[in-house]
Amino acid sequence: MLRASSEATETSVDMRAVVDGEADSGLPRGDALSSFAEALVRRSPDLDAERERLEAAVGAAGLIEAAGTAANFQRMTRIADAIGIPLDRDGGEQGAAFRAGLGIDRFAGAENTPTAAR
Amino acid sequence: MLLVMPFDYGGSPYPIPDRIPKAHRAAWSHLAEPGMWWSGAERVAIAEETRNAEDCALCAERREALSAPSVVGEHDSSTALPPAAIEAVHKIVTDPGRLSKPWLEGLLADGLTDAAYVEIVGVLTTVLSVDDLHRGLGLDLEPLPASVGGEPERRRPAGATDEGAWVHTVPASALDAADADLYGGAPQAANVIRALSLVPPAVRMLGVLHGAHYLSYAEMRMMTSLDRSLSRPQLELVAARVSAVNECFY
Repeated sequence: MLRASSEATETSVDMRAVVDGEADSGLPRGDALSSFAEALVRRSPDLDAERERLEAAVGAAGLIEAAGTAANFQRMTRIADAIGIPLDRDGGEQGAAFRAGLGIDRFAGAENTPTAAR
Repeated sequence: MLLVMPFDYGGSPYPIPDRIPKAHRAAWSHLAEPGMWWSGAERVAIAEETRNAEDCALCAERREALSAPSVVGEHDSSTALPPAAIEAVHKIVTDPGRLSKPWLEGLLADGLTDAAYVEIVGVLTTVLSVDDLHRGLGLDLEPLPASVGGEPERRRPAGATDEGAWVHTVPASALDAADADLYGGAPQAANVIRALSLVPPAVRMLGVLHGAHYLSYAEMRMMTSLDRSLSRPQLELVAARVSAVNECFY
């Protein structure tokens, strides 16, 4: 959806920032958004500092939206991995080269996600 | 006696929109009630184990191990749930990227049914997402609800079938009449939406929290003109980064 939304909004995004926390996505406040998300998932002691940094960057409303989105995908990733669902048809074919290019094929979850279509 | 409404964000330093406490209260109410295969008390126990997993020494050791199964021991648990249920909750919470079909088959061999497993996934992911929004905002976790008595419904959707996942799911064309609303009347639904369909109420709760925390299914089709402070690509960067750190391939 990052790729689709960047194309739809004609926004330039370096997709390497998805898998490399040090890479610059090119999005406004992308670094603060990415670091906050990673700190939450990793239960990092830096979470308080990252929250303050993100609020300073995007405001309280933006912080709430980032926290909500991160919380939502903490859920969605576990549903996908716990149920072992296959990739959807569009993600299975169109996204193969994209996933390989970013190294997503090397994720632990790749072994448990069939690429069969629905 | 003073009754305190759950998820009162009046004292929060942030202007939390009404859709969030409304959804959280619905989630807690749903959590406390008898489900399809677990009683209300058991569902609250699953929620309790979801929180226990965060500080479980065995889970921490397994997460750091090259081969998680090589680390044996007992989970830090506080409930009377069956061991297979406790293992399911702790592993999904703490090491989701290394779940596997053989691991699930082991749980099923230990007596857990596929539908009971799916309900566990629904409950724990509900609690985790509510709790993680609180963690993200630096808020205290909400106390778990008191359970509601009664028996589980024990209804397995008649149209559940093998669609390629580890457990059966229900295609849109085979929904029971009682579940006709499950995918919003759409002729098909994404695999992650159908994932929990062996337990239809879990699919409905997924939609409630999805809309409150992130975007409704209708809003997901909107790349611009969203009523949000962040742009759609900014939201999706957060989503993608969470998925990547969890090593989620889907």
